[in-house]
Amino acid sequence: MKFIDALHSQRLFFDGGTGTLLQAQGLKGGELPETWNLLHPDRISNLHRAYLKAGSNILCTNTFGANALKFPAGGQFDLEELVTAGVRLACEARDADPRPDVFVALDMGPTGKLLKPMGDLDFEDAVALYAQVVKAGAAAGADLVLIETMSDSYEAKAAVLAAKENSDLPVVVTTVYGENGKLLTGGTPASTVALLEGLGVDALGVNCGLGPAQMVPIVKQLVEYASVPLVVNPNAGLPHACDGCTVFDVGPAEFAVHMGTIADLGVQILGGCCGTTPDHIEAAVDVCRDKPFTPAADKGRTLVSSYAQAVEIGPAPVVIGERINPTGKKKFQQALRDHNIEYLLNEAFAQEEAGAQVLDVNVGLPEIDEPALLVEVMEALQAVLPLPLQLDTSDPEAMERAMRRYNGKPMLNSVSGKAESMAALFPLVKKYGGVVVGLALDENGIPPTAEGRLAIARKICDTAAQYGIPKKEIVIDPLTLTISSEPEAARITLEAVGRIKQELGVSTILGVSNVSFGLPKRELVNTAFFTMALQQGLDCAILNPNNAAMMGAWRGYQALMGLDPQCGRYIAAYGGQETTAAPVSSTDGPSLTDCVLRGSKEGAAQAAKAALDGGKAPLDIVDSVLIPALDQVGQGFEKGTLFLPQLLMSAEAAKAAFEVVQNAMSGEDRPSQGAVVLATVKGDIHDIGKNIVKVLLENYSFAVIDLGRDVAPERIVEAAGQPGVKLVGLSALMTTTVVSMEETIRQLRSTCPQVKIVVGGAVLTPAYADQIGADCYAKDAMATVRYAKEIYQG
Amino acid sequence: MIHTPRSEALRYLGYRGAQPDEATAALLDERIQAVEGAADPRWTSVEVPLTLRPGGVELGDWSIDSEKLRAHLEGCTAALLFGATLGVGVDRLIARSAAGQVTRAAMDQAVAAALIEAVCDDACDQLAQRYPGKYLRPRFSPGYGDFPLTAQPELLRRLDSPRKIGLTATDTCLLAPIKSVTAVIGVANTPGKCHAGGCATCSKTNCAFRRDTT
Repeated sequence: MKFIDALHSQRLFFDGGTGTLLQAQGLKGGELPETWNLLHPDRISNLHRAYLKAGSNILCTNTFGANALKFPAGGQFDLEELVTAGVRLACEARDADPRPDVFVALDMGPTGKLLKPMGDLDFEDAVALYAQVVKAGAAAGADLVLIETMSDSYEAKAAVLAAKENSDLPVVVTTVYGENGKLLTGGTPASTVALLEGLGVDALGVNCGLGPAQMVPIVKQLVEYASVPLVVNPNAGLPHACDGCTVFDVGPAEFAVHMGTIADLGVQILGGCCGTTPDHIEAAVDVCRDKPFTPAADKGRTLVSSYAQAVEIGPAPVVIGERINPTGKKKFQQALRDHNIEYLLNEAFAQEEAGAQVLDVNVGLPEIDEPALLVEVMEALQAVLPLPLQLDTSDPEAMERAMRRYNGKPMLNSVSGKAESMAALFPLVKKYGGVVVGLALDENGIPPTAEGRLAIARKICDTAAQYGIPKKEIVIDPLTLTISSEPEAARITLEAVGRIKQELGVSTILGVSNVSFGLPKRELVNTAFFTMALQQGLDCAILNPNNAAMMGAWRGYQALMGLDPQCGRYIAAYGGQETTAAPVSSTDGPSLTDCVLRGSKEGAAQAAKAALDGGKAPLDIVDSVLIPALDQVGQGFEKGTLFLPQLLMSAEAAKAAFEVVQNAMSGEDRPSQGAVVLATVKGDIHDIGKNIVKVLLENYSFAVIDLGRDVAPERIVEAAGQPGVKLVGLSALMTTTVVSMEETIRQLRSTCPQVKIVVGGAVLTPAYADQIGADCYAKDAMATVRYAKEIYQG
Repeated sequence: MIHTPRSEALRYLGYRGAQPDEATAALLDERIQAVEGAADPRWTSVEVPLTLRPGGVELGDWSIDSEKLRAHLEGCTAALLFGATLGVGVDRLIARSAAGQVTRAAMDQAVAAALIEAVCDDACDQLAQRYPGKYLRPRFSPGYGDFPLTAQPELLRRLDSPRKIGLTATDTCLLAPIKSVTAVIGVANTPGKCHAGGCATCSKTNCAFRRDTT
């Protein structure tokens, strides 16, 4: 019998805990359990036999921690030998069992490292670590791959890709939730289901972390969202310390009662984790064996996800923010060319605050390396933004590279009814998962009728089905044309929205604002059209969430249609807004100097505008007001009468004023004092000091080339070689990373002898800085500014 | 949920006993809420046998060369390996603030530093209750004195902390998530001499963040 057939036709039982049982047989505290596959194979075999006797029919190999980080090449134990031996021991036990439905799961746990950007393990390196284990395990005869105890969705994705790219084995994934119902890295049951089903796993579920009773609320959520079979492998209750050892508080009988409850919720596969024994499994098997078996069924829900949350498309309409897109935006284009990620992040934060639920990400510019840039921007966004992303590119390579490294299940913008387009995108959707936007156009252009667009929608869904992509993963865009050139355009689009929804049962999406192109007061037409489309059943709108009228129409529609319980979201958005504050007079506000000194951002921006309106020259504002104010704050900080937060608030206020002044300078840049390269050195992820220095240098008109954190010496040398760079600032926190600071300085000296080097960071002292060859030790950010002025102004 | 000691956050921001102005105080309160909302504090510990030897200690079958650690564990009968973290949510929060709102980022950083210490103190109080009649010595972390930072990976492995609480180390032995602490804690039969002064015992006497003990 094949595992995949058993999975859909009968209840299966995993084995239980191994750690405590191996400890009872003599495993020491610091000893790696996997080594016993070679050192004490008999003890591992005994364990397998005990679980088979208890009624388990899936044996996990003793390979949980077997990876090249723990067993590096050339070490005492060979990784492949350990994995092969582990699989062989389980297979021998399987083969000796008379039952036909016993299977061996190649067990893979977390790597023990955090992936970038929170840690230092690259996504592809994680894939490679798992690939090594999968190859050995599959060759040794495992029946399936079990990826378990994952507390990071991104690492789980790396492991699934490794399993699928290096074997044909079915893949089962279980993750660990805390008592808050979330993964350690923030994911929810719904976001985890979205990611894993998108990747095409064969079953998924929960293990470790909690006892069976505490798992029930999580299991209920999994049942609600998951379409594949579910696995639940709890601990024997919660751990308690007892005489210096960890013990679990739920015995076999109690465990079995809870497992019965869990089986009744609609879970197909049951087993145990830490603290459970063959007795626990036997009791659970006894309780659950004769319970009716319900095979997994498609829940038909359309989900996209980020590392942190899932967004469901339907029944309530979803707003997708369109602002991360360079089309027609000069500043945005420049930010992309400069890799000014901070600018893009702030566009994202503004849309999130305005209520967007998904963000479209488009970085297409003619002369740009789009695959690399899309990945760079996407990774920066997914590091800090909890909203799912819609990857928007017509370049299949850019799409694949971004989909591969996306931490969740993205929306994809877009495929069309053209054969070439579908052939390029659908294999990617099948492999990586995603909800794909299908444009109702094909080789013959955009059909002039709703009937024609419906036909293309049908073609897209049918073709997707041939790739194994269900129609719940497709959202059709019937396309919005301009009513000023085509009077029937809106009517046709609205008809198409309704018919695609009703006749095909497929979700729809529109970019709404095109409809009013060329008309005055476009917002009036746009909101009316948007509301009409929602009434036709529109599921997603791509729009500017900073537009209050459109967001009002969206929230109003949901309140009216009973999609917003007790109008809660509507009230949350608009409650308490009846009175609008009186506009601040631009003439009698506090002076710009005061605003900078007090650290008032809004005040400083307004005062700068007032000064410009009053006829003051932009550069005069900078030189005679802003810089002296900053100097005053800086001196106060250095004397100890002002503190770091005040220094920074003033810096931010000055920055807000600079931006106003800059905008008034008709595109010209403020004359720069010169370019300074800043980086936190390789191996170091602590960058707060570097970020503070950056803001202050920018205030003083230095052009900062910020290379970020964990930066290789070679990249710093390359940036330092650019024309105009006279100063490089390096930060490092610990003795272990000062080593790479020293190496960076060595490389800078030999390649760029003309640049000066200033260093800072917790562990550094003037003597230490001198010893590693720096030109200057800066004890704080103001000291760096002073040194930079010295270097550039002589 | 453990709360952030506000005075400690201020100390990390350079206020050595001085009071912040109203705007700073208001922002600080907002950031305390934000950090506490993003934090998912967890800790774990494991008891190990302790043997002192010239030049270092044996913690079970783990041998560490460190005079300072040996001196710190003088008079102890056993030791605890300890790890605690605020989780990656705080890292994300700080990274988010750092994108354009550096005042917030600096405050988040200070608040999180104060919070993780409070979490550790609370954890140690709980641990002390497991050892009635005994005395727990203060935490001694890799990187203190001659207890090398390179002990970090082994300490984490023995705690099984990546799996248990999501606490890992980078190749350069920095902890990830950033706001985390690891330590060795001595268990003694007598109160004995210990570093009651905390940071005041550090040899870096010109440190801007030094706790004022006078």
